[in-house]
Amino acid sequence: MTKPKVAFFDFACCEGCQLQIANLEEAVIDLLGVVDLVSFREVMKEHSDDYDIAFIEGCIQRPMDAEALKKIRENASIIVAYGACAVDGSVHTLRNEFTKEDVLNEVYGDADVEGNPYWDIYDKAKPIDEVVKVDVYIPGCPIDRDEFARIVSDVLQGKAPKLPNYAICVECKKNENICLFELGEFCLGPITRAGCNSACPNVKSGCEGCRGFLDDPRTSAHKEVLEKYGVSVDEMMAAFSIFQYGKEGS
Amino acid sequence: MQVMSKSDWLSFVDRLIREDPSEIVGVKSKGPKFVFDELDSAEELRLDYDVTILPPKKYFLPVYEDMMKYDLTSAFSVDKMVDIPPRIVIGVHPYDLVAMEQMDKVYLGDTTDELYKARREKTLIIASDILNVSEDSFAGSMGTNVSGSGYDLLVTDLGDSVAVDVGSEKGGSLLSSYANAGAADDSVEARVAGLREGVASGYSKSVDVDKADWPGLLTNNHEHSVWEEKSDKCLECGSCTLVCPTCYCFDVNDTAALNLESGVRTRTWDGCMMRDFSLVGGGEVFREGIKERYQHRIYRKGMYIPERYGFTACVGCGRCVSACLPDIADPSDVMNKLVTSSMGVPKPLPIPEAAPAAEGLAMVPRPATIVRTETMTEKEKLFEIKLDDGMPLGHGPGQFVEISIFGVGEAPISVSSAPGGDTFEIVVRKVGDVTGKLHGMDAGDKIGIRGPLGTGFDAEALKGKNLLFIAGGLGVVPMRSLFNHVLRNRADYGEVTILYGCKDPSELLFGSEVKDWEGRDDLVHKFTVDACPEGEEWEHNVGVVGTLIPQVQFDPNDTTAIVVGPPIMYRFVIRDLKEAGIPDENIIVSLERRMECGIGKCGHCQINGVYVCKEGPVFNYADMKDLPEAF
Amino acid sequence: MMSEVNVNVHHVTRVEGHGNIVLNARDGAVEKVQWQVPEAPRFFEAFVRGKPYHQLSHITTRICGICSIGHGLASLKATEAAMGVEISEQTLLLRKLALHAENLQSHILHVGYLVAPDLLGVGSVVPLVGSHPDAVLKIVGLHRMANEMSDLLCGRTTHPITMRVGGFSSIPTEKQLLAQKQKLIDAVEPTKEIGALVLSLAGKLPDFQRETEYVGLVADDEYALYDGDIGSTDTGRHPVPDYKEITNEYIVPQSTGKYCKHARESLMVGALARFNLNEDKLHPLAAEVAGMFNLHKINTNPFMNSVAQVVEFVDSIEDSLDIIDELLDRGLQEERIDVQVRAGQGVGAVEVPRGILFHDYTINDAGICTQANCIIPTNINHANIQLDMEALAPTLLDLPEKEIELTLEMLVRAYDPCISCSVHHLNVEWKR
Repeated sequence: MTKPKVAFFDFACCEGCQLQIANLEEAVIDLLGVVDLVSFREVMKEHSDDYDIAFIEGCIQRPMDAEALKKIRENASIIVAYGACAVDGSVHTLRNEFTKEDVLNEVYGDADVEGNPYWDIYDKAKPIDEVVKVDVYIPGCPIDRDEFARIVSDVLQGKAPKLPNYAICVECKKNENICLFELGEFCLGPITRAGCNSACPNVKSGCEGCRGFLDDPRTSAHKEVLEKYGVSVDEMMAAFSIFQYGKEGS
Repeated sequence: MQVMSKSDWLSFVDRLIREDPSEIVGVKSKGPKFVFDELDSAEELRLDYDVTILPPKKYFLPVYEDMMKYDLTSAFSVDKMVDIPPRIVIGVHPYDLVAMEQMDKVYLGDTTDELYKARREKTLIIASDILNVSEDSFAGSMGTNVSGSGYDLLVTDLGDSVAVDVGSEKGGSLLSSYANAGAADDSVEARVAGLREGVASGYSKSVDVDKADWPGLLTNNHEHSVWEEKSDKCLECGSCTLVCPTCYCFDVNDTAALNLESGVRTRTWDGCMMRDFSLVGGGEVFREGIKERYQHRIYRKGMYIPERYGFTACVGCGRCVSACLPDIADPSDVMNKLVTSSMGVPKPLPIPEAAPAAEGLAMVPRPATIVRTETMTEKEKLFEIKLDDGMPLGHGPGQFVEISIFGVGEAPISVSSAPGGDTFEIVVRKVGDVTGKLHGMDAGDKIGIRGPLGTGFDAEALKGKNLLFIAGGLGVVPMRSLFNHVLRNRADYGEVTILYGCKDPSELLFGSEVKDWEGRDDLVHKFTVDACPEGEEWEHNVGVVGTLIPQVQFDPNDTTAIVVGPPIMYRFVIRDLKEAGIPDENIIVSLERRMECGIGKCGHCQINGVYVCKEGPVFNYADMKDLPEAF
Repeated sequence: MMSEVNVNVHHVTRVEGHGNIVLNARDGAVEKVQWQVPEAPRFFEAFVRGKPYHQLSHITTRICGICSIGHGLASLKATEAAMGVEISEQTLLLRKLALHAENLQSHILHVGYLVAPDLLGVGSVVPLVGSHPDAVLKIVGLHRMANEMSDLLCGRTTHPITMRVGGFSSIPTEKQLLAQKQKLIDAVEPTKEIGALVLSLAGKLPDFQRETEYVGLVADDEYALYDGDIGSTDTGRHPVPDYKEITNEYIVPQSTGKYCKHARESLMVGALARFNLNEDKLHPLAAEVAGMFNLHKINTNPFMNSVAQVVEFVDSIEDSLDIIDELLDRGLQEERIDVQVRAGQGVGAVEVPRGILFHDYTINDAGICTQANCIIPTNINHANIQLDMEALAPTLLDLPEKEIELTLEMLVRAYDPCISCSVHHLNVEWKR
């Protein structure tokens, strides 16, 4: 059996998700045995445009990045968006509440960047499926490395990868955590897609929703819970706009 | 009863920790709450706890449990997990003892769960009387605040001393090996009794309905407004089922290592409040509404399980009450609200007879080899399979098997060949991962088989009867195992009529066999398609399968109808049959649900209180017609 | 000699982010040599405006996946400085430990996965799995140990969860710290072996010297990482709030990451800068390792930055062991976090693996951030990389194009640039 050719690319992001792949430690060596890694700028000098599966990290800020992404789509038969930036834009969409002139001015001041393609940004930061079709999604900021391993082994075995369609609460209960609401904290766990093994509640920190909402979140029931615990919806949503800024349900 | 001083009790626990080879777990504090966890010293043990976040069931049915390891590099290789370490659990409260005894009936009854059994046998229980009542608990009114059984030792912390009741030989020898206890006199027994009385009167919550009356109350109040009021607020977070000591449903998943050489099949707790609990490979969700799921949880506790096993599947621990953010999970509150309505006479739920329990390791598949394949249509492929141990499958018509492909998972598939022979046949539609993978396999490839499972068609009972077969789509697959048996033993049966419908001509299955029917004068057969696309040839009827019923002659009072098809078909065909005058008890159906474990434990295939995998998939319509979730 | 040399490395590999190198030379003279940073701009300073104080660290850790703990700490320190929040001794010790975890993780990743392939003449760590399996497994083992330490302190390896304004949401147990201590002790032997391997290959590092200004945190009593004054090999000590006088950010058209300068045309931060400022504060084993490499202050070879990382790796193990002992001696306490909102402006500086990092916030009396400024070590280094290239390129022109390209790439890699942070990207363009 020929090994699938695999390439990794990144756009606007912190590259923390590719670090999670390195963080699989010994299992990365296993993975290298079953795929043919043809491009991964952060770890290898070699590069080829002949690949079957492309893993994309990061969101799209500029036309020059969108063009590069479209080329990748032409080359790859499967595109995997991994990490919140690629999947839904993550923190980068926080800039969408400002104009592009404002954000450029705030960061680069009056420097002359007019006409320079490096600074030619879209009005809004975009997840990659606003530019190309995405076949597989791996959410999270950062991705959960065990979920990444599971989804990759599914893809390699020809199995349709599935994300959990139940709330973080399920994992939180399995981990026997004390409910964050009982500790007086806010938590988006009840409406957020599980798969991170409830990483934040495990250390007594409320879920910030980095994995995105469930397919059909019970937002009105959640709002009632917030009210019961003395949190106004506005307060709550302001507090939890980090990852879900402007997203449906927020 | 024996007694020891408090310091002797502490040194007993410390000696266990230091000297006993078992892992010693007990109740410890976790912030403001309590959990069962490994003990480092007796000082950590908190017998004054009210309730733990999770019940001790996590030691018998672990949150995540590796059931078997498999090797993907060889054709078929599986190792069951057998290495279960010994453990002593200290501080289990009476309501949890009751819950554990219930779980034993489920997991050690009919089809024994080997892993559960091994964990149970290797675990010693040192129970403790309740010292502080949880404010969410209503165990007092459930009669579970004390328990006379289910423990190896039962301790009562009296402050200065600890009374011990020996519940088993193992418990007794543990006590004599490690503890300095002496016989208790009447005053100790009186103090224990006094403490228990104090606890019994310390409950602020109670359920006002005797648990024996729960089934009747639920039967009569299916349409009560409480269901909607509560379920509207539900977050669907699943917490209530996950913290419950009597919930035992699970999900099974395969995880392959990244080298794709090995993997594990793991089970993990699942719960009926989650939407995908009843999702099948084809995409249908059989319990879609939140209200129906909310009802299922309460009905299961108060009606389905009582009628099946004879006990109420709620021990009043109050864990679901504490875990539920919108405050809707409390079964006592539901019962107290319902009791204001009129209570009816409990109507026994018809639990059809179950198939005989499978032998041996019920969850471990047997190796088998595909000996022949035949592509039937674009989506359906036939596989002829032989078990590697040389044994015939020994199935009856209408039974199913769990097909196992390691790394991918399991899927329930109906056997479509008639009973007998060294091999058997299945016809598989490509709808999910297992079936997709199977479609890529060919003669010589190895798969795993569990089964035969479930009840089949009772070919004996049908002898001498006139039979009207009605198959829709893939329903012809399980039905074929019966009509081929009937045709092979034609003289044993009366008139035979076969009505078979599918979407369009390209989906017609078993084309060559169907052709053979043309020459037979001992059966009537008719075909139909929902629609015939332009350009395709079709000389038969066009319309849904029900449109064939008026086209054939049968005596409604002396004909048994056998109906198999997709969920939507039943409603219409059964209506047509009833209109034609066939009595309910002469209609036989085969139903599809998510049959994951196949042995009546994982909970996914339930139609109200009935396990489709165990009491079905073949049912008499009369047994099922009143179940709200059946059709 | 070739009359024309054109080198164009479009995206330098094995660095964090996207950067390009362009070299054009004709008849033995360099016409153009340029370090370009085309990374997509990310605007963190713009979009933290309007966010409440307690979210700032959780947003700004997302500036960088590799140094997220450092960003988190710089952010918390800036917030705490702005609002006048004091932290406990225990929080201080746990934060220092978290910073070591990140330093360990980042340094072993850089030296083991990104630099080692150059020294062993291969394109990536992948072929080393076959050729040097023992060394690779040791590196993986050390990387795992460092990650487990981050998991323990921060709740996960990347984007810390537990660290909050004023303290921690959750702290390790004494049992867990004891287990971590043992892992650190067990890491000493494999660290020595990896050190010996790097030493045996150190001859492959180009012998290139260029004097520059080295800047990093300095403190009286320790090898400063979490706290201290700004130290310069040219101008001595400066208080942290004066950071802008040191960094003087400016913009060049070839880089979306800003450039910096201070006493000279450029300055360098990172492991080598810290070593040059703090060599005498190293723990004994780290000092011994530095001696093995004949690394002494002031070393002006930027390629030695990778060696300084090896020395710091050892020092972080030693200091972590000391901190764990101190925490165990004190006993761990769950502490209540009590933060009062107060308007103000504050600067937080910490040493992250790639050098000194500044966050500067203005917070209003509602606890909302109204202005933010983050100065990232890779930005501070951009100009130094450019000037190193200008000095190095003319000495390389006699070499085959491939070797020129490799040497220039190795130079960039030695800085361990974190371009996503600086905004983020590396490319080399060639003309000779």
